[in-house]
Amino acid sequence: MYEDLLQAMRASIVDGDQDAAAEAARAGLEAGMDPLVAIDEGYVAGLSHVGSCFSTGEMYLPDMMLAARAMKAALAVLEPAMAERSAVRSIRGRVVIGTVKGDIHEIGKNLVGTMLSASGFEVHDLGVDVPVETFVAKAREVGADIVGVSALLTTTMTGQRAVVQALSDAGMRPGVKVIVGGAPVTRAWAEEIGADGYSEDAVGAVALATRLMDAAVEPAKS
Amino acid sequence: MRHAVIGGVPYSRLESGASARVHEAALGILERTGARLMEPRAVRLLADAGARTDGDRVWIPRDLVTWALSAAPRAVTLYDRLGHPAIELGGRTWYAGPGSDCLHILDHRTGARRTPSMADLREGIALVDALPNLDFIMSLFIPGDVDGRIADRHQMAAMIDGTTKPIVLVSYEPSGMEDGLAMAEAVAGGPEALRERPFVATYINVTRALLQGESELRKLLWLAERGYPFLWIPVTSGGTTGPVTVGATLALNTAGVLIGVVLSQLVREGAPIVIPGFGGDGLDLMTMVDPYCGPDACGPAVALAHWYGLPMFSLAGGSDGKLVDGQAAAEAALTLLAVAMAGGQLTHDCGYLESGLTGSLAQMAVCDEIVGWIRAATAPVDLSDEALAVDDIDALGVEGSFLETDHTLDRFRDRWYPSLFERGTYEGWRSKGGMTLEQRAAARVDALLSAHQPRPLEPDVAAAVRAIVERAEATAGL
Repeated sequence: MYEDLLQAMRASIVDGDQDAAAEAARAGLEAGMDPLVAIDEGYVAGLSHVGSCFSTGEMYLPDMMLAARAMKAALAVLEPAMAERSAVRSIRGRVVIGTVKGDIHEIGKNLVGTMLSASGFEVHDLGVDVPVETFVAKAREVGADIVGVSALLTTTMTGQRAVVQALSDAGMRPGVKVIVGGAPVTRAWAEEIGADGYSEDAVGAVALATRLMDAAVEPAKS
Repeated sequence: MRHAVIGGVPYSRLESGASARVHEAALGILERTGARLMEPRAVRLLADAGARTDGDRVWIPRDLVTWALSAAPRAVTLYDRLGHPAIELGGRTWYAGPGSDCLHILDHRTGARRTPSMADLREGIALVDALPNLDFIMSLFIPGDVDGRIADRHQMAAMIDGTTKPIVLVSYEPSGMEDGLAMAEAVAGGPEALRERPFVATYINVTRALLQGESELRKLLWLAERGYPFLWIPVTSGGTTGPVTVGATLALNTAGVLIGVVLSQLVREGAPIVIPGFGGDGLDLMTMVDPYCGPDACGPAVALAHWYGLPMFSLAGGSDGKLVDGQAAAEAALTLLAVAMAGGQLTHDCGYLESGLTGSLAQMAVCDEIVGWIRAATAPVDLSDEALAVDDIDALGVEGSFLETDHTLDRFRDRWYPSLFERGTYEGWRSKGGMTLEQRAAARVDALLSAHQPRPLEPDVAAAVRAIVERAEATAGL
């Protein structure tokens, strides 16, 4: 059902075409499609495709920006209809992100935020030069599942260790997962400081966050 | 001092009028958009000089920039550790050296990519000391076997101890820079002696053109006060921290450069500031890697720095490739040649692989070979009577052999001969082991290292340097 429409939705995201994305959303609503189906099976599927093409070096980063922009255009059309039906897009997880104290680099961190929120995570971005205590306080306030800590410099990446430590001291670990990223950050570093994961890029960060959320619910299932 | 002037017709990426247009755009950015400076003393200096400020925001009027550009020195001389002039930055001179702070080393003996150690760093420094065509040292690797908080002190001590060539110092925090220069003062015989014959230029990495952090601004103020030379290097990545076009990236970055020029001259008229002779390139928007060898990285910023007439620090000799291979040799050769022909002055990053994340001593030897070739290829041609030798030609007549003339025997060594590039016959090459360039470079590294003994420091100076490292260790609680 609606396969042609879903295909058009996916294509609009892959092409980064805002007008086509909004148009497909309107067509979907007129045809009686559930907005949540349009989002999950249409637009998000298109976004995942763009993400994986970026990961494999077949698309450029600006292609992802164009895709996210098209996604926004579609959501602008779908959201009023969702409100009417009191439909709520399920949240895949709550994530607090920020760049560590002493570091004012933000491009990589912003990219992770964009990809996570486009992929259905609720993202709380603390910005740059964020004190350790602020990470902890915000994570507690919003009931974060994951805290993402960014650092671009070899001199500031030690701040990532401090965040892991502070969350432990606050008794919030291992419930709250910590993921780390940034140019000098490696898997070995993530393991050394006791973080739960590391990713090379923003697409990998979405996969990592998804994996951590799935792992967190597994014990409840069994 | 090496005769380092590049001959021939100047190569320039910016045509007549283009530099003035970039400058005009940069002035407009400083007046209209302004900048955010996260060190109150810097903001106050600018406010006192007539700039409009609001909190940590500043807008700089063009008159102030024009004055600062006229006050900044047009040339900077760097000395070697022994106090002899070694590098003259200004005009169409060109010098080459390594880069700093690689996170990995590609081990030329095992082929492994691994974390570097202090021993690797000392070997690398000794190699650069021994290589005939490299003119200065940077700290090559971040050693993984010392505490990361004070690795910069160990790196500086190793450079001072391991080579007499001029040093480009990279530090983390201002305290690391002050310790590094305290070591240099111990060598020179005090601050006044170091100011008169500086053998260290301090590299200051600026966060963004219009967003300048506390640490970098404090370094600038400290260095300008003392009149020590420093390199003021904002980096703008087209497509992320700047617009994607070459012109816009260059204009925006230049605005950040000019802030440093103004601040330095306000602190001390004539403070020796060195500006970037690289930039204008973009982030690779497919891999998100900051490439070192894009075709736009080399030419435009060098041309612009020449238009300003200020000393410059350039970038060439690295590779975005992962191995000492054809890509690495091609990228090193292309970037070094383009920068040399443009007159790039102090040029760093020989020996870099993987866009600056990995360093290779074998690649360093390849770069040394390329630099030697370029020097020969850009040297002015000697056309004196002696060199022109028309008397010899006439004496030997139409069928003569010049192989045994005094003229040939006296001068044949003036021609460039390779140390690494293979020119022999096929059989000759086979009989020497049939080695690839990478294998020959690795062998040359080991041969140079086993034969070369860097000139040691005087014992009292060595003790003073060691004491500064130990003090930093104690302060860090080690």
